[in-house]
Amino acid sequence: MLKITNLHVAVDDKPILKGLNLEVAAGELHAIMGPNGSGKSTLGYALAGRDGYEITSGAVDFEGRDLADMEPEERAAAGLFLAFQYPVEIPGVNNAYFLRAALNAQRAARGEPEVDSMAFLKAVRESLKALKMDESLLKRAVNEGFSGGEKKRNEIVQMAVLKPKLAILDETDSGLDIDALKLVAEGINRLRDPARSFVVITHYQRLLEYLEPDRVHVLSDGQIVESGGRELAERLESEGYAFLESDAVEV
Amino acid sequence: MSVLAENLLSDAVLADSYGAVRKRAQAELMRHGFPDIKTEAWKYTSLRALEKRSLVPGEHQPASPPPVPFDHHLLHIDAGRLLSDSSSLPSGISIEPVDSNRLAGLDYGNRGGAFGWLNLARFEQGLKVVINGRLDQPLMLALTTPDGHADACHPRIEIELTAGSRACLVQLDSSNGSGLVNAVIDLKVGENARLDHALSRHNGDAIWIERLDVALAAGADYRLVTLDGGGRLTRQDINVALNASGARCEVDGSVLIGARQHVDFHTAIDHCVGGTNSRERFRMLADGNGVGVFNGRIHIHPGADDSHSDLNTGNLLLSEQARINTKPELEIHAEEVTASHGATVGQLDEQALFYLRSRGLSAEAAANLLKTGFAAAPLETAVDDAVRQWLLANLGDWL
Ligand SMILES: Nc1ncnc2c1ncn2[C@@H]1O[C@H](COP(=O)(O)OP(=O)(O)OP(=O)(O)O)[C@@H](O)[C@H]1O
Ligand SMILES: [Mg+2]
Repeated sequence: MLKITNLHVAVDDKPILKGLNLEVAAGELHAIMGPNGSGKSTLGYALAGRDGYEITSGAVDFEGRDLADMEPEERAAAGLFLAFQYPVEIPGVNNAYFLRAALNAQRAARGEPEVDSMAFLKAVRESLKALKMDESLLKRAVNEGFSGGEKKRNEIVQMAVLKPKLAILDETDSGLDIDALKLVAEGINRLRDPARSFVVITHYQRLLEYLEPDRVHVLSDGQIVESGGRELAERLESEGYAFLESDAVEV
Repeated sequence: MSVLAENLLSDAVLADSYGAVRKRAQAELMRHGFPDIKTEAWKYTSLRALEKRSLVPGEHQPASPPPVPFDHHLLHIDAGRLLSDSSSLPSGISIEPVDSNRLAGLDYGNRGGAFGWLNLARFEQGLKVVINGRLDQPLMLALTTPDGHADACHPRIEIELTAGSRACLVQLDSSNGSGLVNAVIDLKVGENARLDHALSRHNGDAIWIERLDVALAAGADYRLVTLDGGGRLTRQDINVALNASGARCEVDGSVLIGARQHVDFHTAIDHCVGGTNSRERFRMLADGNGVGVFNGRIHIHPGADDSHSDLNTGNLLLSEQARINTKPELEIHAEEVTASHGATVGQLDEQALFYLRSRGLSAEAAANLLKTGFAAAPLETAVDDAVRQWLLANLGDWL
């Protein structure tokens, strides 16, 4: 699904990712943890194709295609989805309208017909309901005036509607109350599928208790410095990142 | 004599019952002259494009009124003259000639008001429309010019709502010619009357200068929503006088300016007495080498205590060459008032563009969505559903 080899990314000429390697197979869920400022969001942005996140060397292969050559919207149509750490408010743009336009744009790029309006609305309503979001949010502007938790849940609604092949979730669990965290985890689990993969960036192993990750990685100073199973997340939770410095393992 | 005076005035005063009015207006205009860029209110708007036009009269087929997707009563004015059949109007709408005594008392001031004087000197047919009661459908006022029009015309329309009346006025300004339209619209909203006014304009090469003077009586309520789709040179003045206690107005607008276009909006809201309220919100978008000018003046007169106003302008520059000059002007001479204002000038938000693209929208579709969202906000305030939909559809077509 995704194969990142020796990825270097610079922002404003400042190297942030410094030789990152990561391979995620179809159907897998990988967690990425790591200290603030280590480059986790940078990885998400670079994969999604944000301007200014320049791949200076290395390669990113997504289902046999080189991501570096693709525009953000092409990556989306190819099945890549990034749930933003800080979802963006879009004043004046109606949420339902936006979501349908996005879905139809992706479908058009893939040569598929437009979605049926009724079926679309039904699917969105179901996703909203599953995340205990009020339907009135559909009529509001995208993320505008949404509470922090509503914004995060709205990312999961979008993911559920767009049905990506690979979803990168950047701290979608941060700022959620305990019930909302569960809803988000359920939202992710509902989409688990042998043909769909997840990269879940998080600071807390609580989310991982619900998600059962296949691998847990630690990103530090632009590199994956440690990988393991769920027990790695538990160890990080109890000991912090300090132990990495003492017995860091080369990957 | 200046180029403009030479092109636009004539020694022969039009011979009709308004002779004295016209003579006085022409004399005032000659005395003050036309504005130039040293005239404060015209500082950012040069009339060179008008000077360079050779205005030529010609025989043209009148334009047909532009279609709108809702039922309405029609007043169609083509090159300053009423074309539509006024006998089909309902009993609540009556039409008469403008009163020359009233015209004799008008004062458009000095240079800054030159086009008001010019209109008074040259208007083709002064129409006064009286609305009495509650209109069942919007009254559409279509100001057009004949196809291929390359002359000057000076439409003059007065609309008066009697006390307690209520109406929705939909004004549509359009010309595909290359001449000058110099319109004056005078609105009088009587005691406790309410006027919802939508103004939609989209021009190509024509030069459009329009002055909208609104006078509100006690308890009168005036709501203007305007969408300007741009034009080679457009100047819109909006003057609202809150003349008596309880009067309120809301003025909202979106202005779209494309390459080689110049659109200047000057608004002035006068709180003449206390207990009056105003709210104003404008959005301007300039693309290519387009130029936008917005000047929003709020004047709270001495003694107009307990008045409240709020003015907000947002501006979006869509290219490196586009320019927008925006200026709120607050003049407050009273006590216990609130007057807030805010102005922003920015570009399309890079973060928002990326967010939309990451969901699959093309760069162009994402930019369009942001522009539409930005410009739609002032139009959303239009009260009548069908009128609002029509404005939003126009916005979609013109962006
Ligand atoms: N536009 C920029 N200019 C300069 N430095 C930047 C820019 N964007 C990000 N950085 C830097 O890149 C580094 C990595 O940032 P990133 O957001 O990827 O961290 P993170 O691992 O997601 O952190 P957090 O856990 O706090 O979300 C930080 O030091 C940050 O300051
Ligand atoms: Mg981050």
